[in-house]
Amino acid sequence: MQVTSRYQLAAAVFLFQLGSSPMFLLAGPAGRDAWIGVLIGFAAGLLLLVAVMLPIHRIEPEMNLIEVSRRYFGPWFGSLLSFSYVLYFIYQAVRNFREFSDWVILYLLPSTPLLFILAVLMFISSYAVWHGVEVFFRLTELLCPWIVLMYAALFASILASHLIHPELLEPVLEHGIRPVVAAALPEVISFPFGEMVLFLMFWKFAGASHRVSRATLLAYLSAATLLFAANVLIVSVLGPFADVSVIPLMQITSMVQIGEAIERLDPVVLLLLFVGVFIKQTAYFMAAVLSLSELLRIRFRFAIGPVGVMIYLGALAFRSYMQQVRIGFKLNVVYHFPIFQIALPILILAVMLIRSPGTPKIRRADDGGIR
Amino acid sequence: MTAETERALTGHLAEDVEAVVRELGDSCDLVVRELTGKEEGEPEAAVVYMKTMVDEETVMRSILDPLMDELDRLGMEEPGDAFRRVHKDILRIGTVNERTKLNEVLCSILDGDTVVLIAGKAGALAASTIGGESRAVEEPTSQTVTRGPKESFTENLQTNVSLVRRRIRSPLLRVEAFKLGRHTQTNACMIYMQNIAQPKVVQEFRQRLGKIDVDSILDSGYVEELIQDATWTSFPTLQNTERPDAACGAVMEGKVLLIVDGTPFALLAPVTFISFFQSSEDYYQRYDISTFLRILRFCAFFISMFLPSLYIAITTFHQEMLPTPLLISLAAQREGVPFPAILEALLMEITFEVLREAGVRMPRVIGPAISIVGALVLGQAAVQAGLVSAAMIIVVSFTAISNFVIPALNMAIAARLLRFGMMILGGTLGLFGIMSGMMILLIHLVSLRSFGISYMTPFSPIVWPNLKDTLVRVPWWLMKKRPALISNPRQAVRNASGQRPSPRRKKRP
Repeated sequence: MQVTSRYQLAAAVFLFQLGSSPMFLLAGPAGRDAWIGVLIGFAAGLLLLVAVMLPIHRIEPEMNLIEVSRRYFGPWFGSLLSFSYVLYFIYQAVRNFREFSDWVILYLLPSTPLLFILAVLMFISSYAVWHGVEVFFRLTELLCPWIVLMYAALFASILASHLIHPELLEPVLEHGIRPVVAAALPEVISFPFGEMVLFLMFWKFAGASHRVSRATLLAYLSAATLLFAANVLIVSVLGPFADVSVIPLMQITSMVQIGEAIERLDPVVLLLLFVGVFIKQTAYFMAAVLSLSELLRIRFRFAIGPVGVMIYLGALAFRSYMQQVRIGFKLNVVYHFPIFQIALPILILAVMLIRSPGTPKIRRADDGGIR
Repeated sequence: MTAETERALTGHLAEDVEAVVRELGDSCDLVVRELTGKEEGEPEAAVVYMKTMVDEETVMRSILDPLMDELDRLGMEEPGDAFRRVHKDILRIGTVNERTKLNEVLCSILDGDTVVLIAGKAGALAASTIGGESRAVEEPTSQTVTRGPKESFTENLQTNVSLVRRRIRSPLLRVEAFKLGRHTQTNACMIYMQNIAQPKVVQEFRQRLGKIDVDSILDSGYVEELIQDATWTSFPTLQNTERPDAACGAVMEGKVLLIVDGTPFALLAPVTFISFFQSSEDYYQRYDISTFLRILRFCAFFISMFLPSLYIAITTFHQEMLPTPLLISLAAQREGVPFPAILEALLMEITFEVLREAGVRMPRVIGPAISIVGALVLGQAAVQAGLVSAAMIIVVSFTAISNFVIPALNMAIAARLLRFGMMILGGTLGLFGIMSGMMILLIHLVSLRSFGISYMTPFSPIVWPNLKDTLVRVPWWLMKKRPALISNPRQAVRNASGQRPSPRRKKRP
């Protein structure tokens, strides 16, 4: 079943990988060596993608994560595994929703209640999800060139304002490689490179598997390049303050001034932030709805309501932005996300390789699990 | 029509004529001419027509004249032979059809045919003599160009089809006739190139037209609402044009053209979003200026949709985004204004919409009065009275002018309506609201389809060859292929290669 083209897949992977990440200093604890941390995270993520996630898709190109786990783990354990992924997708969506609402309050609408902003975001995302996978992927295709253009314009204007001080990147590896690796693993895999696990839900919509791999890898590399550039840019402009700022790229943009005419480009950053987070939250929302509807065997659109309510309530459950950030960046990325992004995919692939399809037991599981 | 009219003609002249007159309600414009030979007695033949539907000159010269000359001899013959001879020999009209049922006869008369009945024969001859007044071919009023053909479609179907035929003299041009509307029995013609149009689209079009079962079709707008893909949208999924050259250009790209009798606006499908920003003049002027104008129109579309809302959002919520001198100047202007920006903008926008509607509806003679009232009283006086700020007047008028740049009126209308939604979003949620609105709009746009073609083609899905004729227009010799997806892929090549003009032709490899 092919509903998306490889351009659409590539655009979706690209925008999803970007998300809001270029705004922030990835591998921040590594200080001025953060860019090396990004490279390490990128390499590890690439290994994960090429060695684990894409092979899962290549073995079962017609199946998504839920179908695969049902088929290879049997109805009971498979459903449990699937359910854990439903929760993972919902939780990721919750984080994106909440994070974005907090930024809106922080930067745009200080006196608007969180409830209301969340409701607006939920409405837009539900509208996209309601239209289905095909429309969502077409949306990413439509947005992708504009986002690239806007990043290019933004970076060019930062370059043109003489804000960059490359000497801030020196000395390289002052304290050796160990603190950098510690900052990168597993944090930078968990956010954003390992999040590719989401596409195990979507790859089956994109047709022939060799094309899927090529488009995915190409988009992954491009996104990583942009993230790397943003990281270098942030450190070489802000230096030691990079890790302190809430949204470093926003801070840099407010310093841009070319001639007397081009200044205050903050709306550009906001628009990029909006699109990036919107794509990410909707992708997770969509994956959660897809997997839940698959798991309970209900119609796709019936699952939007329950999943939407769960995400909405989940996003309200954090007591503050600070709590949300603490849980996310001190606990989730270190302890919880690696389970879903590294451990479980490796387990699934291992089981897939051991239990080759065709044995009677599998076929029975297949009959019970799929139909 | 009643079941009574389903019956066949009897062959008894007086009875049949009487039935026709009765069914048409003894209409005052119905002419029944009974012809009797030299000998007194029963009439030999009858000629029936609606004098308001036919060209009486033709009826007299080509039907009545020859028929009267031959009447005596016809009286001698068997009714069957006489009927055949009238059909083959006597009537000097191109199109003559046999009718055997009463309702067929009625339909023919109402279509402008002249019906000839022969005594003793259970049948009738319908000769096409349609005439009546119609407007001459004039210059288009709503889609004007500075360079290019100045002809426009009229209300007459025949004229309109001929305007297309004369431009595409190909044997592959197909013209299919439809009758729409139970009571109005409106004629319509579906026109397409047999080799270029997608057979699927043509079939779909045919099917949708076939499903129409309403009592009246008075304009192509009726048809549009009955066959369009999406109803709950402000974006048009069918294009209308009153320019035969634009219609022919579209037909040559593989689109299907529908001309409806009684209106100069023909329909085109399938369409994409970008085609509403293209004027037929783009192909007549040089490619560089065409490209520039297309990009300009696109920007104007965004301005006319977003400018007032952006103004409201920035002055209400995000003053820090304005450069300081501008901020001070705006604040000074707004000092005496009693309303919040959103109310001020809504007030002025609605004022402008009223002026615009008045400009369309009012009698032509008092036109200048409205412009004086509009420009002076509502513009300058409102600012001097301190009701609105001068900046708001500039914003509203620039928005209005931008709206007129869009070549397709139905797309301009979409921007005009959505503007109000955006203004409310901008006034309540600031830039966040506008971004949200824009995202909803984009999702909506990519979900639309027109006769199976994605509305945002060729941007999403990306179709590389089609990008040559979207925001940019490349020179003609570069457009070797017809737009993919819209035209039949088997007939993709449109222009031969090597069409680029150059002083010395290079040798072909």
